Amino acid sequence: MNRYLRIIIFLSAVLITACEDVIDVDVQTVPPRLTIEASLDWEKGTTGNEQTIKLSTSTPYFDITSNTGVNDATVKVTNDDSLDEFVFVNQNNGTYTSSSFVPVVNQSYTLEVLYNGERYSATETLTPVVDIAEVFQSNQGLGGLDNNALEVNVSFDDPVDINNYYLIKFKEQGDLLPRLDYTDDEFRDGNRIEVFYEKYKEADEDEFIPGDIVDINFFGISRDYYNYVKLLIIQSGGNGLFGQTPAIVKGNCINIDNTDNYAHGYFRLTQVVRTNYTFQ
Amino acid sequence: MNKKGQINGYTCILLNILTYFTFSLLSPPITAQTNYTVSGIILDKENGETLFGASVFFKGTTNGVVTNEYGFYSITAPKGNYTLIVSYIGYPEITREILLDRNQKLDFKITEASTKLNEVVLTGEETERINLRKPEMSVLKLNIKTIKQIPVVLGEVDIIKSLQMLPGVASSAEGTSGFHVRGGAVDQNLVLLDEAIIYNTSHLLGYVSVFNADAVKDIKLYKGGIPARFGGRASSVLDVRQKDGNSERIALTGGIGIISSRLTVEGPLFGEKGSFMVAGRGSYATLFLKASKSDTDIGFYDLNLKTNYRLDENNKLFLSGYFGRDKLSFGDDFGVGYGNASGNLRWNHIFNNKLFSNLSIIYGKYDYNIDFNIDEFEWISSISNINLKYDLKYYLSNTFKLDFGASSIYYDFNPGQITPTSENSEVNLLKFDNKRAFENALYINAEHKLTDKLTAQYGFRYSMFNRLGGQEISNYANDQPVIYNNTLGVYQRSSETGLTNYDNNKTIKKFGNLEPRASLAYQLNESSSVKMGYTKAAQYIHLISNTNAVSPLDVWTPSGKYIKPQISNQIALGYFKNFKNKSYSLEIESYYKTVDNRIDYIDGSNLITNTIETEILKGESRAYGLELLIRKNQGKFTGWFAYTLSKSEQRTSGGDARGPGINNGKWYNTSNDRTHDFSLTGTYQLNDKWAFGANFVFQTGRPVTYPDSQYEYEELSIANFSDRNSDRLTAYNRLDFSATYKPNRKLDKKWKGEWVFGIYNIYNRKNAAAVSFGQNLETSVNEATRSSIYGIMPSVTYNFKF
Repeated sequence: MNRYLRIIIFLSAVLITACEDVIDVDVQTVPPRLTIEASLDWEKGTTGNEQTIKLSTSTPYFDITSNTGVNDATVKVTNDDSLDEFVFVNQNNGTYTSSSFVPVVNQSYTLEVLYNGERYSATETLTPVVDIAEVFQSNQGLGGLDNNALEVNVSFDDPVDINNYYLIKFKEQGDLLPRLDYTDDEFRDGNRIEVFYEKYKEADEDEFIPGDIVDINFFGISRDYYNYVKLLIIQSGGNGLFGQTPAIVKGNCINIDNTDNYAHGYFRLTQVVRTNYTFQ
Repeated sequence: MNKKGQINGYTCILLNILTYFTFSLLSPPITAQTNYTVSGIILDKENGETLFGASVFFKGTTNGVVTNEYGFYSITAPKGNYTLIVSYIGYPEITREILLDRNQKLDFKITEASTKLNEVVLTGEETERINLRKPEMSVLKLNIKTIKQIPVVLGEVDIIKSLQMLPGVASSAEGTSGFHVRGGAVDQNLVLLDEAIIYNTSHLLGYVSVFNADAVKDIKLYKGGIPARFGGRASSVLDVRQKDGNSERIALTGGIGIISSRLTVEGPLFGEKGSFMVAGRGSYATLFLKASKSDTDIGFYDLNLKTNYRLDENNKLFLSGYFGRDKLSFGDDFGVGYGNASGNLRWNHIFNNKLFSNLSIIYGKYDYNIDFNIDEFEWISSISNINLKYDLKYYLSNTFKLDFGASSIYYDFNPGQITPTSENSEVNLLKFDNKRAFENALYINAEHKLTDKLTAQYGFRYSMFNRLGGQEISNYANDQPVIYNNTLGVYQRSSETGLTNYDNNKTIKKFGNLEPRASLAYQLNESSSVKMGYTKAAQYIHLISNTNAVSPLDVWTPSGKYIKPQISNQIALGYFKNFKNKSYSLEIESYYKTVDNRIDYIDGSNLITNTIETEILKGESRAYGLELLIRKNQGKFTGWFAYTLSKSEQRTSGGDARGPGINNGKWYNTSNDRTHDFSLTGTYQLNDKWAFGANFVFQTGRPVTYPDSQYEYEELSIANFSDRNSDRLTAYNRLDFSATYKPNRKLDKKWKGEWVFGIYNIYNRKNAAAVSFGQNLETSVNEATRSSIYGIMPSVTYNFKF
């Protein structure tokens, strides 16, 4: 529902806004903070042994140096029941990899990162996902903005009587930035749910044309991660006039030695369905 | 105790109190001399409208009153010969020699000063002039004529935007609903249109207010010193009264503007006995807005109605109504509609020449609906109330007047309902629990002239709020709907431990508050006075909104098991002076206000939910400031200069949920905080054809939250935001100009037309309504994007009267 209201609010804001321009603003700065992008995503139909964890540090908001990889940390993940440890090997480019990770659905794991003499830790459970039912294109309008633009739709059948949370990542090949979307089943439990990706010229995007290829990642996610990533997505979509008051978003990576120095990012474990779609 | 029992209980107490006061007051005070009373109604001769705020006094004495909302006055003095003076600026003073040897009834019909066209009206309005002796303070009065002279965006005369030119009243942002009084929030304003509660004050997402200026007689905004007869909101009362309708002749008023047109018809009804007024206003089908290029549509209309019927000289009935609706549609995919509806039936009864009463039964409703045609479902939400009110005013003696009465409001909240509109819809039927509540109040207030120089006003309001059953309420471990997760350092929704079902006749939670109100005026000399006041007010219903600006889709929620009423306390001190023969006035006021139990939102709160208590924390707010208003009331040039220096902050500690609270439990700026707010408004009457108006506004930028760093996640640069409201938008400022041209008219011609040309925001400043942060799609570099609502906006409007 929120998602729908956001669309309405977004459209309303577009309506009443006479003018938008890019301006210089002074923002506050804070000391860098560790960012842990520990996304252990098990693609359905694979072994899921190959996994990568990225570590970096935060930078001032308008800073354009992007190379902030952390190369002096140690990373491991533990299966909380079998206590099997998976050590992630430092690749000296800000990534740490394992080729022997064993994913188990609904299994709890713990991440441990040692960096700058401080221990960071997070615990999460691997969430399964249903298969995609259908991927198809259409040219339905959204909100009257444009009735002819193409969009790609992903549909799936939500399992009934349990709460499910989903993350969908679309990225057109050749684009710099992906599009993330989220949904839960609060109002649509047990139904077929559709999610779509459309580009709007009103938002200065190049509309889809036949031949464009979109990579699609469809994740099953935990409730806690849903709350996290939803807020992240809402806030990265800008915070205009009717936007939510932005807030600090904290992930699940806590600092055991110094609570205030928590890490950005999240330790997530998901099952994922990957596919792509070529516009006809 | 069942519901019926309680109501009877309240009624009983109420009746007892009323009876007590009535009897104790009706017995005449023992005095050496015999006193007599003269009472009556003051009307405008031209249109028969009763005049609110006209002064009636005995020449050479300090014995005087002002007329009430229904034009009624009552003045008592010892037997003797007197000169009675009726004065209302813009009208010539009327004097009448009277021999006060018996009680008598005297109605006055007075005529506006300039009916001849070659005369220029050089006067401000009486209702705007300060009354030095009356303890009334922190009140803003604007006459509808003054409002119509202020340059406005797109030529749309706007009551609320005009009020924002006065000290202590700030806007949220251009293009948004609502206003802030003395650092208060939008939902802390009680907005009344003919006594009916208006829940959303704007059309077109804030472009235009819901009040059609042609249908309005007068407005009064109480920023503090709220009279005991009003209650239910923590910050202010905006009392808007509709015209009664011309009882002398059929009259037409109207206007054609660039976004809307309006037409008002009024006239006598039932011979001499009544009158009516019907006003309609509508925007054009496809608007001026950016949207006009696609198949998006936005528009509004509203309708004001009023009629009255005089049963006899002591009894008069009024029926008034309002209906307004906004519609937005985005192609065939989404449709949004929202609006207020209200109705009020009133009975004015004059018991005797000293006791005036009014009984009202009032209905009010606000609702919105969204049709998601694309996904085949609709979403509706509403709040409605029925209010029964009885107000009495007793003119006991020339030094003592008493207001007392009672009010009872029944609320019905429908927070939200989703209905699939076809079998293929991917959503299921879902309805959030309806909520019901009863708000009752009793009040009594005295205006007491202690000496010739010192007048006091004191009294209290006792309010009771009863959250009624008929729904299930969630239970949480330790009664904590929100808990602080120490490990992650965030506030989280607590899990339900069960549900308690409350029957229709059960009470979920009860509150009661004694709200004292007092003020004092001391007249220093003929032209100046000092005043002070104290107000306590309880607010039982809250608007749930965590967006940068209040949107029409925000939902009201009542106090109950987990949400406590907001309690405000305000003290104010003021100095008032008239100079140069009352043609200038100076008002300086300072205030300090605190509000307890102010709702604050946890990070990432989700407000579309059945259990709003899991998304909020209880905080407090405080505001203080200094206001200055210099007004020129007479002459070819009239206008004012207003300046406010203020601070509005809030603080939310973890409380029972534990943890550090919002912004680590420190005081932080509310989004209503404006350090400096400066405005200059002027009108210059060049001759009987041309008048010019100008505004200048400067205001400190609104507190907002900006990022303080970025980090890479999922191939995106994620903004990490700093503490809530720790940054500010750039200062807001603009200059507007208007010119009014009245073509030459023949004296006997009834048709009077005028052209109003306006330019809003002359130097085309792009005032930021919001700044949002994101990545450039081409370069992926972070950038800040400013949204501004109005650039330079020329307009032309034609107004007519017949």
